[in-house]
Amino acid sequence: MKDNTGYIWKLGMFVAVGLGILVVAIYLIGMQKNLFGSTFQLRTEFKSVSGLKVGNNVRFAGINIGTVDEIALLTDSSVMVYLVIKEDAKPFLRVTSKASIGSDGLMGDKVLTINPGLPNSALVKNGSKIASSEAIEMQDLIAGLKKSVDNAAVITDQLAGFTYKMNNGKGALSKLISDEQFSESIKGTILNLESSSEEFAKFTWKMNHGNGALSRLVSDTGFANSLDSTMTNLKTGSKGLSENMEAAKSNFLLKGYFNKKKREESKKQAEQIKQEELRQKKLKQKLKQPKLPKDSIG
Amino acid sequence: MEEVSKHTFVLQQLRELFLAMGKATLFNLRFFRELFFPPTEWRETLKQCYLMGWKSLPLVSITGFIMGLVLTLQSRPTLVEFGAESWLPGMVGTSLIREIAPVVTALICAGKISSGIGAELGSMKVTEQIDAMEVSAVNPFKYLVVTRIVATTLMVPILVLFADLVGILGGFAGISIKGDISLISYATKVIESLDFIDIIPATIKSCFFGYFIGMIGCYQGFNASNGTESVGRAANSAVVIASLSIFIIDMLAVQITDLII
Repeated sequence: MKDNTGYIWKLGMFVAVGLGILVVAIYLIGMQKNLFGSTFQLRTEFKSVSGLKVGNNVRFAGINIGTVDEIALLTDSSVMVYLVIKEDAKPFLRVTSKASIGSDGLMGDKVLTINPGLPNSALVKNGSKIASSEAIEMQDLIAGLKKSVDNAAVITDQLAGFTYKMNNGKGALSKLISDEQFSESIKGTILNLESSSEEFAKFTWKMNHGNGALSRLVSDTGFANSLDSTMTNLKTGSKGLSENMEAAKSNFLLKGYFNKKKREESKKQAEQIKQEELRQKKLKQKLKQPKLPKDSIG
Repeated sequence: MEEVSKHTFVLQQLRELFLAMGKATLFNLRFFRELFFPPTEWRETLKQCYLMGWKSLPLVSITGFIMGLVLTLQSRPTLVEFGAESWLPGMVGTSLIREIAPVVTALICAGKISSGIGAELGSMKVTEQIDAMEVSAVNPFKYLVVTRIVATTLMVPILVLFADLVGILGGFAGISIKGDISLISYATKVIESLDFIDIIPATIKSCFFGYFIGMIGCYQGFNASNGTESVGRAANSAVVIASLSIFIIDMLAVQITDLII
């Protein structure tokens, strides 16, 4: 009798622990699939679900908040997706929230992501429908990638041509890279430019800080004022001189000299007018002559 | 003349095969008949459960632990190469629960239990103890066969669950050798990767493994011919046929699971 109870309790423990493992495993998996916690339902409509399956995770702000419960075809171009969401996430989901389908890694499962809605909009209720943004299909992505690759091929081809020309061509840029003499000349030019810019720098420094006439002309206001008054004096002086000259012209001692000079000048002017008229005449005559055909020349 | 004898040989072989299949079918039908009609040998069933379940636990646990550890250590370099080391707990958990733990546990049970039943019943048959039971008004089929088959059918799935748990712990040990992860985050990652589709078909499959392990052992032992060498033959063929049938059931189970889900 003692023997019997000895093995029976061991057997009972063995079975209990074994079944316990099963129950715990089922509970944990179920909890992960939101079977036991309090949940609510949401729905959203897509044109294509891109391989989304029942049981895939629903994410909000990167956190798993639920799973895809059901996927039903409504028409030939719309699919209704029903989601089971944990009650804890309800205060953060708004009617303006948008659902989109993404991928968990490059090769991972599809994931339905809910983006936050507008802060002032109403919160979702059980069975609410939220908007969706269409998923990027892998084929579209590949098509875009193909276009980029084609462009890259054209670019690299042109780049190859360019580098060939750079290595073997005779243009300025090619010379700049490959011709030593050209580069030496450029180097010399740059050195000259450097030294001249240095000189110029010295010049401008002197201009700003020196005591020479030019420097003072540029920077010294006193000097400028003095120059201004000199100029005024000069103007007054020249006016006086001009009056003196007029007086000299009317003086009987010098009158003969001035009259002679006047006559010579008017004579010179008349001669110039005559020569100009003659030149005009000759030009008119030339234009009147008929043009010879080109072939007859030579 | 030679051709005729070859022809006869093939026919004879076929006849023997069909005969064996017919006998096995009758044996199965008799099991179900005896199972559902009283009296039930409860005490003997519990004793067999204890012997097959509890007594196999250390062997199954050690094997499960080593399987988990080895699977982790072997998979790790490949996953590291792909930069997917974080998938290791999920991969180990799923492989163990779906396939490795049920099949390895069933194979161990085939080696330990099926051969034991075959040898035990075979020697009882050879020493005419079974006949003696019949004479003393005890139904030997009910007492020897039904109890053992029921025990294996119930105990193998529980052993598989233990192997799952210990194997996952072995996987944790394997990850801890080279990586640094807490037991809680490891367990969370394993649970995250699991689904009902992993655990329920595996448990149902294990029941079938257990049924066939017990059935084949009992059939081979119960049908041992007179003579001591037939005891060894019964034990040997019980292991071979049980192991083979485990793989066949496994293949069918995978196909059926795929069809259902």
